[in-house]
Amino acid sequence: MAHEANETPASKAEHVHGPGRYFVVWALLLVFTVTTIITGRMDLGSANLPIALLIATVKASLVVLFFMHMTDAPGANRLVFVVSLVFSLVLLLGVFGDLWTRNPMSLPPTAPTQESFER
Amino acid sequence: MSLSDAQVPVPHLAHHYETIEKQDYAVRLGMWLFLGTEVLLFAGLFLGYSVYRHFYHEAFHEASRHLDLWAGATNTIVLITSSLTVALAYHAITQGKTKLCAGLLTFTIVCACAFLVIKGIEYHHKFQEGALPGKWYHYGEVTAPGANLFYTVYFLTTGLHAIHVIVGMSILIWILARTLRGHFSTTYNVPVELGGLYWHLVDLVWIFLFPLLYLI
Amino acid sequence: MSQSSPLNASPPVYPAVNYLNADRGVWSWLTTIDHKRIAVMYLVSVMFAFLLGGIFAMALRVELLTPGPTIMGANTYNRMFTLHGVVMIFLFMIPAIPGVFGNFLLPLMLGAKDVAFPRLNLLSLYLYWIGATIVLSGMIMGGTDTGWTFYTPYSTTTPTTLFPVLLGLFILGFSSILTGLNFIVTIHTLRAPGLGWMRLQLFVWAIYATSIIQVLATPVIGLTVLLVGIEKVGGFGLFDPTRGGDPVLFEHMFWFYSHPAVYIMVLPAMGVVSDAIAAFARKNVFGYKMIAYSSLGIAFVGFFAWGHHLFVSGQSSFNDGAFAVISMLVGVFTAIKVFNWVATLYRGAIAVKTPLIYICGFLFFIVFGGMTGIAVATVSLDVHWHDTYFVIAHFHFIMVGAVIMAFLIALHYWFPKMFGRMYHEGWGMVAASLIVLGFNATFIPQFLLGNAGMPRRYYMYPERFQALNVASTAGASLLAFGFIIILVYLIYALVRGKVAGDNPWDSRGYEWNTSSPPPKHNFDQTPIITQDSHLYQEPGEEVEHVVI
Repeated sequence: MAHEANETPASKAEHVHGPGRYFVVWALLLVFTVTTIITGRMDLGSANLPIALLIATVKASLVVLFFMHMTDAPGANRLVFVVSLVFSLVLLLGVFGDLWTRNPMSLPPTAPTQESFER
Repeated sequence: MSLSDAQVPVPHLAHHYETIEKQDYAVRLGMWLFLGTEVLLFAGLFLGYSVYRHFYHEAFHEASRHLDLWAGATNTIVLITSSLTVALAYHAITQGKTKLCAGLLTFTIVCACAFLVIKGIEYHHKFQEGALPGKWYHYGEVTAPGANLFYTVYFLTTGLHAIHVIVGMSILIWILARTLRGHFSTTYNVPVELGGLYWHLVDLVWIFLFPLLYLI
Repeated sequence: MSQSSPLNASPPVYPAVNYLNADRGVWSWLTTIDHKRIAVMYLVSVMFAFLLGGIFAMALRVELLTPGPTIMGANTYNRMFTLHGVVMIFLFMIPAIPGVFGNFLLPLMLGAKDVAFPRLNLLSLYLYWIGATIVLSGMIMGGTDTGWTFYTPYSTTTPTTLFPVLLGLFILGFSSILTGLNFIVTIHTLRAPGLGWMRLQLFVWAIYATSIIQVLATPVIGLTVLLVGIEKVGGFGLFDPTRGGDPVLFEHMFWFYSHPAVYIMVLPAMGVVSDAIAAFARKNVFGYKMIAYSSLGIAFVGFFAWGHHLFVSGQSSFNDGAFAVISMLVGVFTAIKVFNWVATLYRGAIAVKTPLIYICGFLFFIVFGGMTGIAVATVSLDVHWHDTYFVIAHFHFIMVGAVIMAFLIALHYWFPKMFGRMYHEGWGMVAASLIVLGFNATFIPQFLLGNAGMPRRYYMYPERFQALNVASTAGASLLAFGFIIILVYLIYALVRGKVAGDNPWDSRGYEWNTSSPPPKHNFDQTPIITQDSHLYQEPGEEVEHVVI
């Protein structure tokens, strides 16, 4: 049985703005893509990884906040997404806690160890 | 396909929901939960990448230089643009512009195909060069220890991502079919939103894969 | 609140039309979207799985009667314990309480007509059937011998058939994820008016915490299983040291899911006990908020503890220590619950019925299981106990002693709700006594065996361990006998049991506000909740000592 439905509050919020913001976000994403290509292929030593991750995080945030409407999403949806990211980090940090503190003899010869950090 | 003659589609209220608002809220929450599971799925692969990059830094650095940067960059731009068009498609249908929505969805699907084609060409090059995962590796250009694992990680991550591109594309084709049949309107368009959300996730994963595999 | 409580004179009535007979025919069951019917189908399926896993267990115990080969060779033994583990964990423990009781009761406890996504619910059931069938087909094709933990590189190089198990587990994982997703959305969106979060029954809180774990952790095992399969077929080298891979990485990924998985098993069990204990002590739950929050606490902290399975696997000692401390923290939440449960029983109007016997068993076993958990979380001790029967006894105290006791509590407490009939109390008590005794006889010797050094997954052992092994097998036989008795009287009760009436226990849980068995749409009108659940005394009121 179909009901005549009113506009949902969520779509009301989305109607307030036009499509322009999507183009702005798209342009920003392209700019950041070019930036990461340039900085990625430069030799910045150990800063390469953090910079690449930072730019990627900014790009991802733009997609999540604006394309995926996270800015006007209910709190539960935001919590779900953030929590999944947090636990992904838990997985990474837990494993890296192991890798960083293992006895060097149990690691491949090319892995960085405490000594190589000091060198 | 004109809607002016037919009745404007309205959402169907399931028997156990009190209002459409609650039903829509539930459906969106369900979708975000599902996206959360996808994040955790790819987290495992990013873990694999991180671990082996940590072990074999030089090989990963060298091997990334041998990936086709132009293919990767083009794919990135293709996916970002497809994200734009799918977001615009949802925006269009919330304003009742069915034809515009259908056109934008089509463009998104074309982008998805383009992505897969470029990926396919890249894979083909790898097979020819011998830049293959694990025990199959026999690519002479990168000789640092652990190079084979770079390609293991490369094929696993881009492979699983490509599967998600195919799944996302299929969902969008289904949504497109329903749009063309006039199922959606200003009052009923949640499936378009959900299909778009899945597609954005596919884009998100690539936003991280691209620099990690091709650049650094 | 209409109920035919035993306290009033009118005889119990069996509703002529209810969810069991509302639609007829096998097809109506297979295409149902009624959460109650899905729950009943889960019940039949998981009991079949339990029977199968139990047969494998008995086979193992019979083999262990003598130090040498008794009824099977070494390879068969390896396949047998692998199957026992896989079937018990993935086909029974993980889906059982959420799939059966979560499905049946959640909408009833929320005043809803169904779960959030009824068709997805049916899909979960189908995925369970498909995954289980594929796993069992692997057994028929010869079975795998890696243990349920299928560590690499052995699992990627073993000649036994691993693929069906991997594929089946992948599909079962989806079933689990969809169930969890469904329950979370149901609890968020389908609560009846007046049912705020702090009025939710503790079983609902437990299911909520469980569902969060299911949604977050299961994708990782899905990926891990996929990677092992790919590596086995393709030689990709991700976990293979000869190709530069790291087998400990597999263990990290595997246990990142499998440790929270034990909380998927135990949290619903705790939720069952929280509800049942209030009903059988006829007393408001002591420390409602603490129990509710500790469920979330276990779910959260449980994600940070996986490394305690890697203590002797090559993990760094720094990680060992960190994971040890965090693992002990989880014990705090369990202890909070145990204190609150006991405080609920204290000075309550205890109804000595079959579920109460199991509740007592549960409390005893969770304390011992939990304490031995803290013991093995101590790295220096675990070096001695790892891969011995001590660990086996510890987790069986929790898995069987706590979770299966709770499953039996749920089965007996909610049997009249689900089927409108009562089982025979006398036989219920007999079986409960056999099970509690049998359980002790089976697993206490195993603590002693493990401490004395008997390794797990070995089918031969030195002579001096035989006496304890024989004792353990004798206990297992008692256990098995107890379960068979339960099966018999429950089936009898289904067809010839006394009509129970709407609320034979006079319980104040919200699910008892509708008839037993409930009608197809649960409630004629959406109920409006005006008081807390399990409210037996108003503030200041004394416990009413009645006999039910």
